[in-house]
Amino acid sequence: MSTLDDAAIRARLTDIFRDTFDDDSIEIHEAMTAADVDEWDSLNHINLILAVERGFGVRFKTSEIGNLANVGEFLALLKGKLAAAG
Amino acid sequence: MSPTDPSHLDYRALLRASKQLDVSTCTTERRIAILSDAAVPQLVPLLRTLFAARGVRAEIHLAEYDTLELEVFDAASALYAFAPDAVVLLHAPQALRLRYWREAADREHFAERTVDGLVALWDTLRARTPALILQSNFPPPYERQFGNFDHLLPHTLLAQSLRLNVLLADAARERSGVLIDDVCGLATRIGLQRWFDERLWTLAKSFCALEHLPLVARNVVDLVQAAQGAIVKCVVTDLDGTLWSGVVGDDGVAGLEMDAFGHAEPHHRLQHYLRELRRRGIVLAVCSKNDHATALDAFRSHPDMVLAEADVAVFVANWGPKPDNLRHIRDTLNIGFDSIVFLDDNAFERALVRDTLPGVIVPELPEDPAEWVRFLSELNLFEATSFSEEDRRRADAYRANAQREEARTSFSDITEYLRSLDMRITMHRFDALSLPRAAQLIQRTNQFSLTARRPSLAECEAMARPGSGFVTFAISLVDRFGDNGLVSIIILRDTGDALDVVNWRMSCRVLARGVEAFAMNRVVETARALGRESITGTFEPTAKNALVRDFFAGFGFEQTGTTADGGTTWRLRVASYEPRTTCIADADPTTTST
Repeated sequence: MSTLDDAAIRARLTDIFRDTFDDDSIEIHEAMTAADVDEWDSLNHINLILAVERGFGVRFKTSEIGNLANVGEFLALLKGKLAAAG
Repeated sequence: MSPTDPSHLDYRALLRASKQLDVSTCTTERRIAILSDAAVPQLVPLLRTLFAARGVRAEIHLAEYDTLELEVFDAASALYAFAPDAVVLLHAPQALRLRYWREAADREHFAERTVDGLVALWDTLRARTPALILQSNFPPPYERQFGNFDHLLPHTLLAQSLRLNVLLADAARERSGVLIDDVCGLATRIGLQRWFDERLWTLAKSFCALEHLPLVARNVVDLVQAAQGAIVKCVVTDLDGTLWSGVVGDDGVAGLEMDAFGHAEPHHRLQHYLRELRRRGIVLAVCSKNDHATALDAFRSHPDMVLAEADVAVFVANWGPKPDNLRHIRDTLNIGFDSIVFLDDNAFERALVRDTLPGVIVPELPEDPAEWVRFLSELNLFEATSFSEEDRRRADAYRANAQREEARTSFSDITEYLRSLDMRITMHRFDALSLPRAAQLIQRTNQFSLTARRPSLAECEAMARPGSGFVTFAISLVDRFGDNGLVSIIILRDTGDALDVVNWRMSCRVLARGVEAFAMNRVVETARALGRESITGTFEPTAKNALVRDFFAGFGFEQTGTTADGGTTWRLRVASYEPRTTCIADADPTTTST
């Protein structure tokens, strides 16, 4: 996973968002929150986390998942994991 | 592959399928209420999708997280307003664990206290709704206080959890309409390490790892459907490569392998698995591409065969297409395609049957026979919600009927067929043993009945007494396929110079076998022994007895008149009667004719 650059990470994350929320028009951005996506409820939040873990081969700690404020923080967390893994 | 294929349930695929669910073809609706001390919102789409795959539109009421007691004990709750067909009580082991930790006193009775609490829920539910109650049991904890020694200390969470499942089953057994939803079985099959997702419990109070939640949903569907009578009745199995290793036509009987210790052990195991199913009432049938005699020879003479010829209700071995043979088996047993499971190691045959007969359940057996029994068990095809002595005997009854049916078609000459049945009749006066069954037969028979009146048990008792002025006969039939039980009754009134037929009834199960001819011979003999000149009788037409309109004429009776309600009266001179030839023997040659 270490070879993924920012754009590739963002593209793959976008695919996962679209698949999880069943909406091909979703464009992710740093300030995006659950309030911006119709289907982003607590149930789909868990589905999203699990899909991201599977898609990138990473694993988040419980505390990390609970404290995400927006997609920007999620991306930062994900990049940190990938860098540590690489 | 369909996401609802029970052998490949995929959480994400099922969720996707739930978004485009088409329930327009579903003919039935079931209302399912889910109550849990875990959060299980994901169960709703999973249940809808899996029910739809079984042709059922599911309406789901999901109670708010951990409102289980509230919903049950409040008579005005949304649960009762929902009017469920089934109430699913899902209790999470993590919630149980927390309660255990908090209750430091009297831990030896923690399981009892827990069961008391659950039983209170069931009994309250039962008092307020006729719904089926599904109670989950508990996977054992992986935590240990003393290590292995936990098992020997009654107060540990491990010991109490194990005990809890036993007590739950005991309590459910004593109640009607309460079934155990074996979540423990699911969790231990998957493995506790993979079943539990402690991170998801922390974050979302998830019942288990989400990828295994489809199993929880499928268990509910299986139980609800079985309770509604959607059950498998028959397993049709191939022979070569399935029941044994080898091809009997090529290798000969001696070349077949199916012993318990060699590499063919999986086939041996499959035979045991099928025989156990047969013992609990699942009918077995064989459908094989073989010469009939060759295939049967393997059953009869191979020393390692577990299944016997007598375990198989319908034995079809020929070179015709398997879908045709399955149709024949279905017709012979008179069951639906959707209650048949078809086992075949050959992927071509499986695909052919699946495509031709969509109702038939065709498990996609793994390549390696060693995996078959495990694979079949995990499909949970044979769910039942009750078990009786009758179920135990059902496979025998189906087999006997199928054999008679087959024997009939294999004989071109009916007499030859009847002779092959080896029928024996017992025919004597009503006695204490036969009276209740005679009265029952009188109530049940409609078609083969000469008169309309149905005498009661008390009347039958009175007529059976010596000196009553009546002659009674209870007729039982045994053949080489089994005991048919009481099949006919005759009541004759002795007028002094004639025996008058006041009641003659026969079960239609034994139509066209010569039972009535055997009986008429005996009736005439009896009249002769009593010194009566004739037999008289009346045919009273009813809505259903056209079958016997010509009964008297058939035995050479002469019509003597008609009755006001369209009936006919008949008379036979004893002296002119020619005894009829039958293929039935007297099982009790010592019987006197009176």
